[in-house]
Amino acid sequence: MTNPPLDEDSARWLDELRGVAPARDAALRRLHAILLGIARAEANRRRPSLRSDVVADLDDLCAQAANDALAAITRKLGDFRGASRFTTWAYKFAVFEISVRLRRRAWSTRRVALDESSWGRMADPAQDVQRSLEQRELLAAVRRAVEETLTEHQRRVFLAAVAEEIPIDVLAERTGSTRGAIYKVVHDARRKLRAALETAGLREAE
Amino acid sequence: MNRDLLNRLLGSGERDPGCEACFELLDQYAEAALRGENAEAQFPQLAAHLAGCPACREDTEGMIAALRRQGPSGSSR
Repeated sequence: MTNPPLDEDSARWLDELRGVAPARDAALRRLHAILLGIARAEANRRRPSLRSDVVADLDDLCAQAANDALAAITRKLGDFRGASRFTTWAYKFAVFEISVRLRRRAWSTRRVALDESSWGRMADPAQDVQRSLEQRELLAAVRRAVEETLTEHQRRVFLAAVAEEIPIDVLAERTGSTRGAIYKVVHDARRKLRAALETAGLREAE
Repeated sequence: MNRDLLNRLLGSGERDPGCEACFELLDQYAEAALRGENAEAQFPQLAAHLAGCPACREDTEGMIAALRRQGPSGSSR
């Protein structure tokens, strides 16, 4: 596929970042400042949902996020094809890095027990009687399928990610895995569960 | 029957390329959304992934918010 022509601003960024000092150093400093601004703005956007101890560490977290985002960008500069503006492409690294740090910090002090209560918390108590009954039946069927069709690893990851809603990058950190690998376990588990429920005739009743 | 709960448990069932592929397209998706285009229709696999991945959904919201703050030109100098 032919790459789209670069806009003027993106082309200048690439020239400078692929160039030599002092222009390259100046561009790296400018880009770092932009990434830091993006990380801070994203942290501020999420501030209402953050604990006070996480808020107290935001300066550090944003600085780390900007540093790692800049490192990722310089490492992956050859991947940029101009499908978006260069700055948009760069922003996503800063958003990703600060997001991961905020989620990990938010969960850093939480212990999670995967037990009976995980299933109970998924039911919506505000439902009317009929829907509440349907919901309990649905949860019971999914739970049966989880126990009968998933491997032990799939079961634990599915319960953690879906029932307990632990973010997948937190799970990845705790299990020494990657976000993509954890998501694939969830994806494969869901596929098996859908097949099991269709076999049981439950999905047709939606 | 409790479609929200079912989607939460089992995802959308659409073809899902996963987190890495979602990240690759995130900048294009966010720019399309900011232009007011139908980003979900342009990137259906990414949309399917976002339906089942809260972390990528959160990051996508952050990207769109970042672009909104920077204004339509995205001027960086």
